[in-house]
Amino acid sequence: MEYLLHLAIVISIYSILGLSLNLIVGYTGLVSMTQAAFYAIGAYATAIAMTSYDINFFLAILIGIIISGLCALIIGYVLSRFDGDYFTLGSLGFNIIITAILVNWRGFTGGATGIPAIPRPSLFGFDLSTNLTFFILALLAVVVIYFICKFIVRSSFGRVLKAIREDEKAIQVFGYNTHYYKLAIFAIGAMMAAVAGALYASYLSYISPATFDLNESVFILSIVVLGGLANNKGAIWGAALLILLPEALQFVGFPSAVAEELRQVIYGLAIVLFMLYRPQGLVGEYKL
Amino acid sequence: MSLIPQLILNSLIAGSIYSLVALGFNLIYGTKRFFNLSHGAVAIIGGYIAFYFTKSLGVGIIVSSIIGILAAGILGYLLDRFVFRKLRQRKASDMVFLITSLGLMIVLQAVTALLFTNDFQIFSSQFTSYQIFGGVITQVQIIIIVSVIVISTGLFLLLKKTRFGKMVRAISDDEEVSKIVGIDTNKVIGWVFFIGSAIAGLSGILSGLDIGLEPTMGLSLLFKGVIAAVIGGVGNVYGGILGAFLLAFVENFGIWGISSEWKDVISFGLLIVFLLFRPQGILKK
Repeated sequence: MEYLLHLAIVISIYSILGLSLNLIVGYTGLVSMTQAAFYAIGAYATAIAMTSYDINFFLAILIGIIISGLCALIIGYVLSRFDGDYFTLGSLGFNIIITAILVNWRGFTGGATGIPAIPRPSLFGFDLSTNLTFFILALLAVVVIYFICKFIVRSSFGRVLKAIREDEKAIQVFGYNTHYYKLAIFAIGAMMAAVAGALYASYLSYISPATFDLNESVFILSIVVLGGLANNKGAIWGAALLILLPEALQFVGFPSAVAEELRQVIYGLAIVLFMLYRPQGLVGEYKL
Repeated sequence: MSLIPQLILNSLIAGSIYSLVALGFNLIYGTKRFFNLSHGAVAIIGGYIAFYFTKSLGVGIIVSSIIGILAAGILGYLLDRFVFRKLRQRKASDMVFLITSLGLMIVLQAVTALLFTNDFQIFSSQFTSYQIFGGVITQVQIIIIVSVIVISTGLFLLLKKTRFGKMVRAISDDEEVSKIVGIDTNKVIGWVFFIGSAIAGLSGILSGLDIGLEPTMGLSLLFKGVIAAVIGGVGNVYGGILGAFLLAFVENFGIWGISSEWKDVISFGLLIVFLLFRPQGILKK
């Protein structure tokens, strides 16, 4: 039961990451490989607020969201000048820069060893530290973010995003400043990723830069690409699939180091096969 | 050993390795404008195959290196034949190419780790080192610098003086039209993948000999090659070499006095500065 709860919590966290990146990649067509950086900023901001300043989890998460959003505005402003492949390349560069800062800014981030002893959340004296209560909290976050995403993509704002994806020049002709829209969705996605980061930090009680490296961004991107671009349910399916697959491998009896590499082989192959035969992913509504 | 000559030598050596990666990368980029992210993984597999033949089978280093280079070339050819050619036929978008190559990179890196473990491996032989202007350079590092001169001259002659080179340049101008005038584009692109990947394999072997091998090294080789290619002018074979040396000098002098862990920040910082202020690179294609 504890094990199932653990899986459910991890899937919830990655569902949030998938949903957040789907807004950027699936709906707006910006293939970003820096989502793990915002995940990291959320996790670190929350962890530092909780451990060094003794701030309550729910306030700390808010700080994480704000800092992540501000960083996204800066990074997004630079990236908004690039398109296509160059956007992807630049975004991947920012992920590497952010992880390098986390590793090297030792006094503030704890360097490569990271931050230990991050407490679980509590609210008005109620302790929410059991795995069950934590799962309910994570699930609540998924539901809220899912409906925010749904609201965004159905709003007029979301329609402009889809128009940017299909033909940016055309929508510019109608007088929309597409830079603002791209920047806004980039920041919104980053703020959602910060929520996932905060949950992760508090759940595992320990974070280090290695968790948030480029591979993690690639993993989040694969969730979106495999689950289905421009489909919010697809992001959740993708997260569940990619988390459960390696667990199944461990049950078959591979040692964990081999299972880890096999997981990489399988999800890499899945990306290639999907791109070859089903570029919209499992339930996606948009082909890259 | 004094500091400035050593920094210059280190920059020249790093620049040569980056040049080799960028050469192959640009060559492949020329055929179907996409960032081939599997390029670094192919390079490192070349290194590992050479390593396997010398260390486990006791084959001489020269023969092993040739086997490694050919193996990387064949791997590149196969990737094109069974993956990228299919995408070309479907007229997939650049982004699909990029993400597919990302998937291939993940697979190749994991397979390398499965076959050769994630441990850091070094070729056993000790190499003689020489003193030049107060800096130290090893035999391998001299070979690295010589290889770049040989390979880039060879590639220059191949592209400018032969019929094959003409066909490659035609395809990089316009694949459709090349097909119409009777060029077997799939065959030529297959060869381009072979040559580009073989050069990548050489860079994997040389950096393996120089510092050692690790499956994740492919990614950093790739990044250095891509950054070099972009700041030099992507698709421009010679721009890549200029970009590689610029990157190497900025990196090596940039970490003067600060921790070398900032190297990646410096190189990606340079990339972003170039993308912002001179997106076409040093030399325009």
